[in-house]
Amino acid sequence: MPSTHSPGAQPAVEATDLRKRYGDELALDGVSLSLPSGTVYGFLGPNGAGKTTTMRLLTGLTKPTDGEARVCGTPVADRRELVSQVGYLPETPPLYEEFSAREQLDYVADLRDIPPETADERIDAYLDRFELREDAAKRIGSYSKGMKRKTAFVQSVLHDPDVLFLDEPTSGLDPRAARRIRESITDFADDGTTVFLSTHILPVVEAVADTVGVLFEGRLVAEGPPADLTDRAAAGAESETLEDAFLAVTGGDDPVEGGE
Amino acid sequence: MSHRRDLRHGCRIGRAEFVRSVRGYTRDARRLLGLAVAVLFFGGQLVVTLPAAYAAGQSVRTATAVPYLDPVAVTLPVGLLALATLRTMERLGGVDAEELLLTTVHPRAVVIGLVLAELGRLALWFGLPIAALVVAFAAGLGAPTLPLTAGVLVLPLLACTAVCGYALGITGLCVLRRLPTLRRLLKGGAVVGFLGLFVLSQVAAHAFVERDVSVAGLLEVVSVPALTDYLSLAFVGTPLYGGVSPAAVAVLAGLLAVTPIGLAAAERSADALWFGDDGRSQPSGSTTAAGSGAGFAPPRPFAWRQSGRIAWGHLLRAIRHPQELSHLLMLVFLAGPVLGSLASGNDGGALASILAGTGTAVGVYLAGATFGLNPLGDDRPHLPLLLLVETPTRTLLRGRVAAGLALGLPVAVLVPVATVAAGTPLPVALGYAALGLGLAPAAAGLALGLGCAYPIYEPRELWGAETVAPSTLVLLGYSFVVLGGMSIWLVLVLVGLEGSLSPLLLAGAGTFALLTALPSAILYRYALNRYRGYTR
Ligand SMILES: Nc1ncnc2c1ncn2[C@@H]1O[C@H](COP(=O)(O)OP(=O)(O)OP(=O)(O)O)[C@@H](O)[C@H]1O
Ligand SMILES: [Mg+2]
Repeated sequence: MPSTHSPGAQPAVEATDLRKRYGDELALDGVSLSLPSGTVYGFLGPNGAGKTTTMRLLTGLTKPTDGEARVCGTPVADRRELVSQVGYLPETPPLYEEFSAREQLDYVADLRDIPPETADERIDAYLDRFELREDAAKRIGSYSKGMKRKTAFVQSVLHDPDVLFLDEPTSGLDPRAARRIRESITDFADDGTTVFLSTHILPVVEAVADTVGVLFEGRLVAEGPPADLTDRAAAGAESETLEDAFLAVTGGDDPVEGGE
Repeated sequence: MSHRRDLRHGCRIGRAEFVRSVRGYTRDARRLLGLAVAVLFFGGQLVVTLPAAYAAGQSVRTATAVPYLDPVAVTLPVGLLALATLRTMERLGGVDAEELLLTTVHPRAVVIGLVLAELGRLALWFGLPIAALVVAFAAGLGAPTLPLTAGVLVLPLLACTAVCGYALGITGLCVLRRLPTLRRLLKGGAVVGFLGLFVLSQVAAHAFVERDVSVAGLLEVVSVPALTDYLSLAFVGTPLYGGVSPAAVAVLAGLLAVTPIGLAAAERSADALWFGDDGRSQPSGSTTAAGSGAGFAPPRPFAWRQSGRIAWGHLLRAIRHPQELSHLLMLVFLAGPVLGSLASGNDGGALASILAGTGTAVGVYLAGATFGLNPLGDDRPHLPLLLLVETPTRTLLRGRVAAGLALGLPVAVLVPVATVAAGTPLPVALGYAALGLGLAPAAAGLALGLGCAYPIYEPRELWGAETVAPSTLVLLGYSFVVLGGMSIWLVLVLVGLEGSLSPLLLAGAGTFALLTALPSAILYRYALNRYRGYTR
């Protein structure tokens, strides 16, 4: 499904001054974003920084306390339009244990109104790609964590979304599966899909991200191409990896030392 | 256009949810067995009721003479509405894989899907036997079209009550979410409220019995002619058909008009509930533990021993998540009627003694039932931790027992002693208190064994919170054994205190003591072995 919006005409994801308050805790404190379509955005931040919260806001699953967000020009509150444009892989894969992977994917394709032949073709291709073919008829309840995550990844991309939100897609995956996901992300980006990727695995970000944003205590503290960030970190220190950059912008001056 | 699409998606979601439920019912041999027992039990009743319905069909000659038509016409919609509301508040407030569905379809489709799946479940459990009854009745009447017309007439009623019940239930959940204080009150108040309702219902029942108000007479009063007219429409094409009344048409129009309104209301509330804040992951009440700075600090008597500290952990978790104890409500349903009839038949001093005995029985019951009926299921998330720590399994189980005793013993001892003020003879009060002291540990052992024999691991969503409730079978078994045993013990103590300590009585009491202690000890050992089985 090619995007109906010409690339570059408007940002694929646009957020202005997003704020989210849970009780008296401020989870997000004025986050603004603007991603052109076709980019891979690596979203970094320590535990509890607000990454998942941002993704839930951008997919319309939670309403912001303040601020607004648009995906491909659609306000996120307009659910009817939004659902066909976004794909979302949450931290815990939303799957039905009573279904097999095949049934689960068929069900999602059905709900997405993908024509059956197209759906079959895509599902087969993805099952092969992620080596789920042999277990596709088994109930998901019997799957390992990684198999569940792979199935959930496939179900989030079945409808070729314009913007793909991936919350820690490679956590718990074996190296081969992680590489497949990384390759898929690049492929999607080449086809014009915007990928919003949250992860703690910095090499993944370094390999695929065009732009990196670092969230710290609900605020965006650094943004730019990975190379720029590492350069900036290198200016103040002797080493120059994304890890150092991350530690520098999120930890003040107490970089975590390697083990004794 | 979008309505049609939502309806289509809703049907697919409904079908999927229904299939999931059916697969859940038939997941393992244990469930199949339970299902078979239920089917046999209710199927057996059909053997009696089907011929009765057939005979009724043969004898009835006018619509007004159809048995129970009036009360059914009123109780059916009211009952369906209440059922839908309760089920929504209890189970259907959210949907599994919420993040998937809500980023895939419009929330309205999800609402439609949930309601449809619930109707499917309803049809499976109640629809089939009721349909069989209607068919038998129609056969007796010689009116083959009756099941069809009845089905057509019930459909709008079902749709309307299901949708409106869903709207009411989910609005209720929204209100609870908004008012944390109300929710906290409800948590504590629910038990008291249930007790109050029960006492009231017992009093009402006895008032009826005394004034000769018959149930049939009461049912006759309950009639809304328009609803009856509506249901009688089902007799079109049969000898009973009495013509279309305007009231019946009005009811039909009303049902058809209210359904979309109910759907719109349900959708609005669901929207508020699902997107308003982080849905179910919203921690109930406060997120910060009171006095959290101090760490895990059990108060004095608990702090002395390790099992005491474990017990305090159980108690603390129960206080912060009282839904885990919702299975205790069963006691109210089991003991309420008995107490009601006992209380109405006695007076003054006897009443105080009954209260004393009840206190002991409840205390003993609680000692086992509160934390003991599903230990493995309860501990499942922590099992990897529990089994790898150096604390012996014995201590873990003792902690569980101690937590139950901490709750049950005060009730079992203090209530009988307190009733002395109301006229219980002191020896009786002390005897009951001593009985409570002796039997509470036995009940705890019994509960652990039963709970380990039939653990339930799957969490269920109850009142907006995930809990693993004990199996109903275990709960009922435990309740009957403990409450039955308790009543015998109470009588034994009473007879013993009246001075007739005959050798026969002593022998009987001794045997019964053995019969109480031995199974309990054996079951406790069994629980210990089940736990240890995980490490081997
Ligand atoms: N439902 C909720 N209720 C209350 N507070 C919440 C809720 N969800 C998130 N928070 C708070 O919001 C903050 C951000 O949480 P979030 O889940 O977005 O972090 P994250 O960056 O995804 O962390 P992680 O890397 O561990 O996944 C945290 O401080 C968390 O406590
Ligand atoms: Mg997260």
